[in-house]
Amino acid sequence: MSRSVSQHALPIRAEDDVVLVRRKVRELADRLGFSSFAAAAITTATSELARNAWVHGGGGDAIVEEVERLGQRGIRVTFTDEGPGIADLSRAMEGGFSTVRSLGLGLSGSRRLVDEMELDTAPGQGTRVVIVKWKRL
Amino acid sequence: MVYQHLTARLRFDEAELRSRREFFELHDEDLARLARLRPFAEKYMDDIVESLYELILGHAESRRHFPDQATIRHVKQAQREYFLGLFAGRCDLAYVDDRLRIGLAHERVGVPPKLYIGAYARYLRLIFDRLLHEFESREEFHAAQQSIEKLVAFDMAIAMDTYIAAFVDSLERHQAAVRELSTPVIQIHDRILLLPLVGTVDTQRAQQVMERVLMAVVEHQARIIIIDIAGVAVVDTKVADHLLKTTEAVRLLGARTVLTGISPTVAKTIVQLGLNISAMHTRNRLADGLKLAMTLVDRPAAGMADDALVSDVGGDQ
Amino acid sequence: MRDHPIPILRVGKTLLVTIQIELRDTVADAFQEDILSEIERMGAPGLVIDISGLDTVDSYVARVLVDTGQMARLMGTEAVLVGMRPEVAATLVRMGFQTRGLRTALNVDEGLALLGELLGRG
Repeated sequence: MSRSVSQHALPIRAEDDVVLVRRKVRELADRLGFSSFAAAAITTATSELARNAWVHGGGGDAIVEEVERLGQRGIRVTFTDEGPGIADLSRAMEGGFSTVRSLGLGLSGSRRLVDEMELDTAPGQGTRVVIVKWKRL
Repeated sequence: MVYQHLTARLRFDEAELRSRREFFELHDEDLARLARLRPFAEKYMDDIVESLYELILGHAESRRHFPDQATIRHVKQAQREYFLGLFAGRCDLAYVDDRLRIGLAHERVGVPPKLYIGAYARYLRLIFDRLLHEFESREEFHAAQQSIEKLVAFDMAIAMDTYIAAFVDSLERHQAAVRELSTPVIQIHDRILLLPLVGTVDTQRAQQVMERVLMAVVEHQARIIIIDIAGVAVVDTKVADHLLKTTEAVRLLGARTVLTGISPTVAKTIVQLGLNISAMHTRNRLADGLKLAMTLVDRPAAGMADDALVSDVGGDQ
Repeated sequence: MRDHPIPILRVGKTLLVTIQIELRDTVADAFQEDILSEIERMGAPGLVIDISGLDTVDSYVARVLVDTGQMARLMGTEAVLVGMRPEVAATLVRMGFQTRGLRTALNVDEGLALLGELLGRG
């Protein structure tokens, strides 16, 4: 079980909000002493998923958390939107990299950048994505 | 361990302080009671510190941490200050800060927790023995005793945290050192680097190798990095895929990778993977790879005709 | 020039663009258009885009950068992306981002040298 040490709720209602969420995650990664590679990975994944919530979900919310598990520090980001949801999840996770605003690119790419990813979606039910990146010992 | 690392790791803020004081039941009235005991503390300070060091210096193992008279004088003085600090009537972040520094000092000179806790036990006995004669009422003595115990327990918890944090810190540094040793990047020529890869390559190590290679290329502004995989125990499709990813990342930086130590088996694996080999610079022998690197190094950067073929690797579907 | 602070400089016949601010999607789009119109205006044979100031490049921005290079090439301008940070390269590769025939160099000097070679020092 991981314990939430601190929490920041941020809205994703505009393009600038995507930047703010990304920046918050970057700040936290730097403060926790993530390696520059791990910091870039979690920041980039955040950017992809925040954009998904904004572009495909019609806006949503992000919760940026510092988490702790057995003395290990990590970052957890939860994205929720009330958008149309994802109908063909397996296809989205395969990650087609052909179109500029492809949904799959954000999802599949992000999954390869983080330690844990949890996805909860259904057509018409919105989407909830949780990602976690741990600081490597 | 340096102080900044310790505080960054422990993240001792107002919320944490509140939470701890609550659990240790360390209330403002305890602190006020301790402040009222200040005259008592001043009166017995020298007596208690001297007696404490009789135990510490009379024990062979403990004695070793205090090599000379100057050190002993110094720690005794620090001890007097610590003692008076217990009766200062405060327990705020500045107090915690002071305790963290003390804990770090103990950790640094290698005082193990057992000696630390043992010394504390005598410390309390010394204080309580003298405290007993200070009060006429049993209740007052008990109240004072409890307040002291609470604050001392609070201090000991901080000391334990310091030990653990320092231990984890040294583990991390050790791991980093092992990582460095397992991927030694050598500059073998102006703008040519060599990474001889030896042993087992799993996903985690492959990731470390990629990061180290990329950092080294930028740090040295190298045009070419030779990765010699002759010493890698097993090059399966997974390892081959990692190597290709590293090659691609190096190309993004504007440099080239030359892969050497490609055995017949490895060559088979790569071809069976269906990887585009026209974009790869590979050789069987390291010496040949070095020759190849020497011919490539004078041309600026990557992105030339040969590398443009990368567009055929998978490409965009 | 629009209201985004990405200067486009001329070094000889080459255009040099140094990106030092975090790119929002719309800024990236505007940046692409500005470069293309500058190429049209100047007819520059070479373009160097320096991204050493970027600590994060997500798939959207990466796509804009790669596309800009391709579009410039279609217009007859060789483009080189220089100064990509190690963290950015690792992240893009891990995501599985395809960079097609993107030309890259370690830094601005190398980028200019590469263009010099590509364009036959003309």
